[in-house]
Amino acid sequence: MSRVWAVAGQMIAEGIRMKLAIVFLALLALVVLGLPFSISGDASLTGAVQSFLSYSLTVTGVLLALLTIFMSRSLADELVEHNIFLIVTKPIPRWQFMLGKWLGITALNGVFLAFSGLAIYGMVHYVRKFHPPKDKVFDKAELDNEVLVARHPVKGVLPDFSKLAEAEFQQNLEEGLYANVPDFVPNKEKDRLWKKYDARWRVVGPLDSRDFEFHNVLCERSPNKELQLRYKTDVSQYPPDEVFRALWRFGDPRKGTPVYDVPVRHVVGRRHTVGVPADVIAEDRSVHVRFFNENPFRDEPQYGNVIEFRKSNEVELLFVVGSFGWNLLRLLVLMLCKLMFLAAVGLLTASVFSFPVACLTSLTVYVLAGSRAFITDALDLASDDTAALFSSVQEFLVRSIIFLTEALWRVIPDFPRYDAVESFVNGYNVGLVWVLQGVADLVLIKTTIVVGLAMLLFQRREVAEVSL
Amino acid sequence: MSVVSTAGVYKVFKDFWRRPRVEAVQDLDLEIRPGEVFGLLGPNGSGKTTTIKMLLGLLYPTRGRISVFGKPPTDVAVKARIGFLPEESYLYRFLVADETLDYFGRLFRLPARIRRDRAERLLDMVGLKYEAKRPVGEYSKGMARRIGLAQALINDPEFLILDEPTAGLDPIGARQIKDVIRRLGSKGKTILLSSHVLADVEDVCDRVTILYGGRQQAAGEIGELLRQRDVTQITAPPLSEATIAQVRDLIQRLEAKDILGVSNPRMRLEDFFLRVVGEAHAANVRTSGARAGGEIPEFLKKKTEGPEGVVESLISAGARPAVPPAPPSEKPKADRAAEALLAELIGTAKPTTQDKKPVVAPSRSLGPPSPRRVAADESVIDDLLGRPSGESGEPGGQKP
Repeated sequence: MSRVWAVAGQMIAEGIRMKLAIVFLALLALVVLGLPFSISGDASLTGAVQSFLSYSLTVTGVLLALLTIFMSRSLADELVEHNIFLIVTKPIPRWQFMLGKWLGITALNGVFLAFSGLAIYGMVHYVRKFHPPKDKVFDKAELDNEVLVARHPVKGVLPDFSKLAEAEFQQNLEEGLYANVPDFVPNKEKDRLWKKYDARWRVVGPLDSRDFEFHNVLCERSPNKELQLRYKTDVSQYPPDEVFRALWRFGDPRKGTPVYDVPVRHVVGRRHTVGVPADVIAEDRSVHVRFFNENPFRDEPQYGNVIEFRKSNEVELLFVVGSFGWNLLRLLVLMLCKLMFLAAVGLLTASVFSFPVACLTSLTVYVLAGSRAFITDALDLASDDTAALFSSVQEFLVRSIIFLTEALWRVIPDFPRYDAVESFVNGYNVGLVWVLQGVADLVLIKTTIVVGLAMLLFQRREVAEVSL
Repeated sequence: MSVVSTAGVYKVFKDFWRRPRVEAVQDLDLEIRPGEVFGLLGPNGSGKTTTIKMLLGLLYPTRGRISVFGKPPTDVAVKARIGFLPEESYLYRFLVADETLDYFGRLFRLPARIRRDRAERLLDMVGLKYEAKRPVGEYSKGMARRIGLAQALINDPEFLILDEPTAGLDPIGARQIKDVIRRLGSKGKTILLSSHVLADVEDVCDRVTILYGGRQQAAGEIGELLRQRDVTQITAPPLSEATIAQVRDLIQRLEAKDILGVSNPRMRLEDFFLRVVGEAHAANVRTSGARAGGEIPEFLKKKTEGPEGVVESLISAGARPAVPPAPPSEKPKADRAAEALLAELIGTAKPTTQDKKPVVAPSRSLGPPSPRRVAADESVIDDLLGRPSGESGEPGGQKP
């Protein structure tokens, strides 16, 4: 392995001496150290920190991806400029040379991510200390409880709408309501009915209430611990003061838990967090929560309004499972996994193509990996499932592209699946399982495949080949 | 066992569509024996470099068999025994000289102490000891060739492949390289030298092969190939016209043949050049372009502060005359001047201020080395050969 580390060290030296790494480091420093002074978010301390975290981490990811792509072009340069002649004539197996290159790029990325992480960590605490507060105590507490923390979310359990939908479907069927419907597809109809019941459930009329059930709340059942309910509401009609007033009731007396009433006065259309002692958790690890759409503040105006909990903003129960620092570290590990894959792709393309083509190919893979869901959805929309393959030129092309992309997806990972920035910024735990999945999928499987392919191609290649 | 053995090697270069376009090497049968300096000759495009690349595993033969130390050229273990100087230096521009040697030393898994020691001594040998901290990208072509040679020797190779080693070098550097080749050859290293500078090959090689159009046109021992069997040459001190007439009569009487010509032999231009430049330098001539440049005086000044250099002694040893050296006090002024220049160029001498008088007496010798220099001369070669210092016994650097 000493030869592998020699190549890795040389790769790092190249990055530094050729100024490429220095330029990217300077850009990183500019972004991470400069952003806190230019971003205010929604003027609150929490908003400022969230904006800073979001921008700095995203920019870090993009910059290091570009650095990785440009660094890995080094192999293409060595082939073109024939430095490789002096390497492959030395007693180092070519696979070790390739591995050394990959390790060098990965080590450089690791150092840069560590720098970025430390700078972000430091700047967050700097902003927390020196950001001009609206309400000093409230702002900092909100930041500490909702951002600078690692919370595990538990989604509410939805009622079983499928039974209701099935019952209505059978009734409609018996009544012959579908007899004259052209191209009737039973499953589509059942799906429509399911969505109807779901939508109804999400709407709470004036003076009405709605029950939420949370299972597997694995938090210590202690009054000294806190559970947080995170939610966002929409209203049918904005009240004059844009504030809705309601009551949240936590606990289930049937299961012997204490009951806590939390009256809220919140701005419509934004996410809010409500805290409650963790002894509302029942012995079976469930938590019962009821929402009352009525004003608990008797001396304040009453605006009868319909409240909606949209599917895109599910109500969640959160509890603290870790610290901000360790959460940041796990996030950076996930980012590093992506960069490791990208380095492998860069080396693969550089072992086949010359500099500009290799970089463009790597960049294309990066874009594809980042927009996999979007591309899949777009192709699904463009394709007509019921049409024959050769029904039209367009259908044939779309199906061909779908076939091609499905083959590509076997090797190109789904980067957004391992994009933890949004979760991290919202104070959600970047779970160890998530990280391990990322390591297994991005590094152990995909990167190994790509690096192995690069080694194989490089092993078989005539490095002094002349093409006429 | 041969160091290199090829049989029926054929290499064709193809175009983008994999259609054969150029037959670079055809039916090449080559054998290089242990301990010989083998010359690969031919004009540009004759297949020399392609052959070398196939011997190194940089190219694969289209057909035929190649073995190096009895194994395929791609075998990693074989590469540990080879040193290679390519036709251009192909070094990493961002590494400084000692980092370059350290990096290549690490690829041979040499321990750090040995890497440091060899790098220092090789840099000294190629005259770059005081440029060791400069990025290789800043080097002139000649300097890059020197560091290229140093990297080729870092592993103490059994088999050294040199592709156009003197290309881009000034006559002094070229002489140094040739002397190093001679010395390594005389110590049992196997060397493959590819060049179209015929004088270089003639100077150092035991056997040669001449390629043209990718095919072997001639091969054999250089002495045999160049020997003119229909002519006899007698070399003597200057003779009077009367003596020459008597010799002519004698040959006529005994052999019934006429003398074809009588003349004074010519010096080789390389030797003459080195002498003239040495004398001009010793005379402190200030019109020299090299001395008038921006960086070169500083570069030369640094070198004058250096300790004993190995190259200096290598050069001296390589140019040593067959006759025993005269005592230092009797050394001709011209010899002292040439020696002073070389010593300064390689960083061993102190500035010389005497002797502004032009020297006219021609001599093939650049001056005999002092015994002290001979001792310094041997150290790197001894080390590369794994021999205890001081066991040389080699009288000079001349090929036997």
